[in-house]
Amino acid sequence: MPLRDDTLPKNTISYFFREAMRRMWVSKRTTFVAVAMIAIALLIVGSFLLVAENLGRAVARAEGKSRVDIYLNVDATPSQIAAIDAWLAAHRDFAGRRFVSKEAALARFRQSFTNLSEIVGQLGENPFPASFECEVAPALAQTPAFAGQAAELRGLDGIEQVQFDWEWIEKLKKLINLVNLAGLVAGGLLAVAAAFTIANVIRLTMMLYREEIDIMRLVGATERMIRGPFIIEGILQGLIGAVVAIAILFAAFLAGRHFLAPRDSLLWGFLFNTFLPWQKLLALLAGGMLAGYLGSWLSVRESGEEKA
Amino acid sequence: MIHFYHVTKRFDAYSTALHDVTFHIEKGEFVFLTGASGAGKSTLLKLILRQMQPTEGQVVVNGRNLKAMKRSQLPFFRREIGMVFQDFKLIERMTVFENLSFILTVLGLPPREHKKRVYGALRAVSLHHKLNAYPLQLSGGEQQRIAIARALINDPLVIVADEPTGNLDPDLTQEIVQIFAEANLRGSTVLIATHDRELIEQSGRRVITLDHGRITDEKAATPQRAPRTGPLFGIGG
Repeated sequence: MPLRDDTLPKNTISYFFREAMRRMWVSKRTTFVAVAMIAIALLIVGSFLLVAENLGRAVARAEGKSRVDIYLNVDATPSQIAAIDAWLAAHRDFAGRRFVSKEAALARFRQSFTNLSEIVGQLGENPFPASFECEVAPALAQTPAFAGQAAELRGLDGIEQVQFDWEWIEKLKKLINLVNLAGLVAGGLLAVAAAFTIANVIRLTMMLYREEIDIMRLVGATERMIRGPFIIEGILQGLIGAVVAIAILFAAFLAGRHFLAPRDSLLWGFLFNTFLPWQKLLALLAGGMLAGYLGSWLSVRESGEEKA
Repeated sequence: MIHFYHVTKRFDAYSTALHDVTFHIEKGEFVFLTGASGAGKSTLLKLILRQMQPTEGQVVVNGRNLKAMKRSQLPFFRREIGMVFQDFKLIERMTVFENLSFILTVLGLPPREHKKRVYGALRAVSLHHKLNAYPLQLSGGEQQRIAIARALINDPLVIVADEPTGNLDPDLTQEIVQIFAEANLRGSTVLIATHDRELIEQSGRRVITLDHGRITDEKAATPQRAPRTGPLFGIGG
């Protein structure tokens, strides 16, 4: 009879799960702490991912139709405005233009930021300048010829500022990267903390079952057989933590979309447009399970039969 | 089957449990190990199960030098040995059935076979009606018999028992010794540590006597009555 057989018995996996769930139930409080830690870590990661996801989608939409905003001086005369309009009409790239009067700009602001409209009202006079909005083909917008025309446009009388929205799109992209990075760093740190919490919970459980583990060793259970339920326990704690985090995040998303988005349509509308795609949800679940696995692995690798 | 070569076990400079112990137990033998409390019986049994390593000398069980055995091989080696511990070592949170069934899980037997095997093992120790009891609900004698049933459930090559009749009345003692004898007839090598002189004398088996960690006497077996035959737990084999 060989003294080494690394294949696990057929019914071992179900034994691992039964034991892991039983032990979690027996140690409900410590399990709750571990699950809560994982859930908090993943909730933070998930929140950042959600913000980045929605901003990313807004950027993708904006990229499809680039725009140039030409803000006029507050005291621009009608003849200056007419000259600018004529210049735009003469240049094919800027021909798809629309004039936005001071009044229209104010009305648009009031509509987008309802809770700020009172403040604007207290100013006495309309602070918004009139402008031209030109739709520009995204491919064309970044050519040298277009840059030359834009420089010429900036030199016209009555123009305060010429703003290209791909500039803020680029800034927004950087912001998205920053949000993603911040989420990963903060979540990563918390996930490490959560993994250590799980490690301690598993360590406590192993101490609780120390005698039983000794008996298992004496009757011929392999280390894999002994450690398996603890590893599964860690993974399950991570998985439950991730499910809880996703559930809370989804509830918060629904609540935000229901209560906040309709009130301030621009900002909240951006943020509560869409929930995380399934790939990112799977990544969160996998992250929770990985943190749980690492935590339990940290604990069980220290255990072993003492030499006498 | 069990060979000790000049085995010494020292715990520290002032405490030596075994001193230059040499003996050989062949395959199929039934041997009693006796001696007063503190003579070194339990230490010797722990060396056989490789719960500890000798300070000097070699222990060879079933052709395997335990000192050279890798840690990863240990579980598979222990499955060849049915050990009855003095303190029973039953898992308190598990029922009697689960305590025995666990061994079969370790061995990889499908769950559908567990019930039959466990029931057979418990029947052999007359405790089949305690299937769903927890160890703490049983008397000391009953716990001991459960521990014996667990040790014998997979027909081990070697059976090692540390004071297996310590908590039993004379009738039950005979019954338990008979169970070991049947396992012996089925091919298991049996080593029982006990200080029950009467039991040893009645059995007529080979006896190794320890005193303060040294073998002081070895008595060969006397001729036995005709052996009983048949499967141990009514499960064949």
